[in-house]
Amino acid sequence: MSAEPVRMRRVFFREAICRAVRETLDADPNAIVMGQDVGAFGGSYREFSGLFERFGPARVRDTPVAEAAMVGLGIGAAAAGLRPLVSITYMDFVLLALDPLVNYAAKARFKTGGQIRVPLVVKLTAGAKGQGVAHSQSFESWLMSVPGLRVVAPSNVANAYGLMRSALQADGPVVYVDHKRLFPTSGPLDDSAPEVPFGMATVSRPGRHATVIAHSYMVSVALAASGVLAATGIDCEVIDLRSLAPLDLATVCTSVSKTGALLTLEEGQVACGIGAEIACQVQARLGPVRVSRLGAVPAPVSSNSVLEAASLPDAARVAEAVRRLLRTPEIPPPHRG
Amino acid sequence: MTASNDIGALAAMMFARALESALLTRADCGFQLLSSGQEAVAVGLAAALLPHDQLLCSGRSIAPALARGLDPGLVMAELIGRAAGPCLGRGGRGHLSQPSAGFFGAHAVVAGNLSIAAGVALALQARRDGSIAACLFGDGACGAGALHETMNIAALWRLPLLLVCDNNLYSVSTPRAAALAPRQLSDLATPFGIKACTVDGMDVRVVREAAVALTDHVRNGGGPAFLECISRRFASHSTSARETRGKKELAADRELDPIKRLENALLAEGTLSAQTVEALREEVRAKVMAACAFAEASPLPVPEEAFADVG
Repeated sequence: MSAEPVRMRRVFFREAICRAVRETLDADPNAIVMGQDVGAFGGSYREFSGLFERFGPARVRDTPVAEAAMVGLGIGAAAAGLRPLVSITYMDFVLLALDPLVNYAAKARFKTGGQIRVPLVVKLTAGAKGQGVAHSQSFESWLMSVPGLRVVAPSNVANAYGLMRSALQADGPVVYVDHKRLFPTSGPLDDSAPEVPFGMATVSRPGRHATVIAHSYMVSVALAASGVLAATGIDCEVIDLRSLAPLDLATVCTSVSKTGALLTLEEGQVACGIGAEIACQVQARLGPVRVSRLGAVPAPVSSNSVLEAASLPDAARVAEAVRRLLRTPEIPPPHRG
Repeated sequence: MTASNDIGALAAMMFARALESALLTRADCGFQLLSSGQEAVAVGLAAALLPHDQLLCSGRSIAPALARGLDPGLVMAELIGRAAGPCLGRGGRGHLSQPSAGFFGAHAVVAGNLSIAAGVALALQARRDGSIAACLFGDGACGAGALHETMNIAALWRLPLLLVCDNNLYSVSTPRAAALAPRQLSDLATPFGIKACTVDGMDVRVVREAAVALTDHVRNGGGPAFLECISRRFASHSTSARETRGKKELAADRELDPIKRLENALLAEGTLSAQTVEALREEVRAKVMAACAFAEASPLPVPEEAFADVG
């Protein structure tokens, strides 16, 4: 008897999300999807395409434009036995829903002594793509500072599928952050693609001279910059965090121990950002290392393409930041006796 | 004690009042929002609920929790932060909860429990067993957008949700008339086609009758309903809030005491004797003492609990 060959398909980012959600709804009768335009429309990025036809309006529910109530309902439903995924088309609008998300979902298990759990996924789409100051933001760092919330952000098709599968099996609230510029991308996904556990970063590109950590769309920016730098003899290691809360500091520290130089890269703000947190934690573990942070400039992100491009990290800026980092004097590893 | 009959309702109101009084005598009672004066709303509503229903409420949770039938010793333990509380002493009054007893519980953000309750109702609707969610909130919540959003979705999806506004006429110090434009707060529900009414919240029999009618409507697939109960709180907003009302107003409120009112009515109707009243008082005293003793015997949580059950 010969084993069935594993079928490898090339799928779009949206199809990977859709497959993970479809498989969950197939397997778990309590799983539902709620959000604006998730029904017959199939989701703003067509990431729920076909689910309404397959599962019907009771399980794939269009909601009014009311993010606070959408998330609140999702939380209550999760706490009372369903497994909802609530989709918010723009991450910017999660601000309307922070009260139920932060004050209820993140606290419920703790405040009730473990009686109530909130197995809820809130899916948010972050990032800038020409839609202006209130449709372009990346707030992941705000959310990762809330005890009780798990925050994950896929960078490619395999992670989009694997992290969504894990999110839809978690026993507490998960914020799943995807990105507008990832939806047009595609990649390989085989029929038995694995779940991606939380708290596990991955090395997207091995290298010797500097560590660049990133997540979501910025991973591809870091990889592009690494290509540019490789031509000049600078060999970057790119780490895709995948999970922001919990963070995988071990993988980051292993890399930085080797390279001795860390560039943190994010599309959101640098102040109180993911890079600030990681830089601090890495140095608490490893002692002083060369560190630099790169993110959006401290200004709103315009819909004007010139201004948008001027405000966000791109491959050229990442490459320049790495060169500058490597020009700073090397810090010798602490004497260990 | 069962609140579905009048003597049971009287005993339930007396008990909530007495337990709160006992709580206030404790040096460690902490920050509390008291139900004193508003017992009829909690007791009348609870009388209309069935065991598999879920009750959610605001941070003014003591009478609702007791009326729903939570063990008074566990409630008292939770109120003074003891490990024997249903939330292991972590939730306190603001987040008192015991879903297994039909009390999904308190959430101390004003209007914060409304959409949560609708979500609970959505999950109950999926069970198709006739169970409903009831959400008790103050008049303060009626100024929040959460109520509008929740009523809209609940009406669209015909959720089995009873919204009960315990309108005690003040948001801390701000009179209801200075904060909310509608003539009656139940008018807020009308545009959504939600069955709604306003009743005297100081008469437990009136509250119970309205709650039974509206829970029947909700339970039978009629969609959400809205009950406004006009009540009076006898204490200030919280144990740490200044009283802003004058003595004359407070004295007039006391005249409406739901406990005295029912007691007098039952005595006049001949369904209650003075001896029975005394026996009820004695029973209440003993139960309160037992609850306090149980709570007192329970330890405070250990500091390591500060990191437990996160997420």
